Amino acid sequence: MGAREDFTNDAMQYAPQLFATALRMTRNKADAEDLVQETFLKGWRAFDSYQQGTNLRAWLFRIMTNTFINKYNSQQRRPQETELDEVEELFLFRRMGAFDQSKMSQSAEDQMLELFTDDEVKNAIEELPETFRIPVLLSDVEGFSYKEIAEMLEVPIGTVMSRLHRGRKAMQKMLYEYAKERGLVDESLLDPQD
Amino acid sequence: MADCQETLNELESYLDSELSEGRATEIIAHLKGCTDCQGAYEFHADLRTAIKTKASNEELPEGFLDRLRDCLGDDVLGAQ
Repeated sequence: MGAREDFTNDAMQYAPQLFATALRMTRNKADAEDLVQETFLKGWRAFDSYQQGTNLRAWLFRIMTNTFINKYNSQQRRPQETELDEVEELFLFRRMGAFDQSKMSQSAEDQMLELFTDDEVKNAIEELPETFRIPVLLSDVEGFSYKEIAEMLEVPIGTVMSRLHRGRKAMQKMLYEYAKERGLVDESLLDPQD
Repeated sequence: MADCQETLNELESYLDSELSEGRATEIIAHLKGCTDCQGAYEFHADLRTAIKTKASNEELPEGFLDRLRDCLGDDVLGAQ
């Protein structure tokens, strides 16, 4: 029982992170809570196969990612989109000149934090097709390495890199569209050569 | 040393801390001497921070942790 109690105590610290990622995966609070509970139950039951001293956090995220893919993907709630429009390189960076400076703060870092709302960032992630959304979540939000993500998704590292690259560009385009809808962008300010 | 095109191509891997130490040193050397690439680097680094901060800012539903403990507790009892 000792090891199992340790599991509950150790794993519980990751529950908030797992929930935030589960919510971005499922786009629904009730499903996200179910997904985290299922992840903990599977982790608890498989704890014998967990190697003490290895990365418990990565192990839990791996269980959760697999559970999500197997459970929700099979339900086909949304047709799986494997294609994503091609977005040019440095999409958002090239358009920063179009942002209305008077509505932005002085420091560059604060500017970025203020430019997009929490909901816009969350929506931009959630709107990505699942193939791209999961690697973006695991890398940009949870900070896992290409190797860890490749292991979680059971795909080659090159595939992780290309999905991240395309997913991030698509996200930048969505963030730009949201800013445009909010009237933060004046496209006449853009250099036509850009 | 890396040129602008190489630096911009590898910016993402650099931000992901996925470049070899040698390659990362070359990219850093280029960034130090090139205002344009330095600007692109800072922009994407700030964007990363904003995305991470905003996407992980999620309140747990009320009673979430208790229900999680309960479901593990039920499984413990069920297993005995």
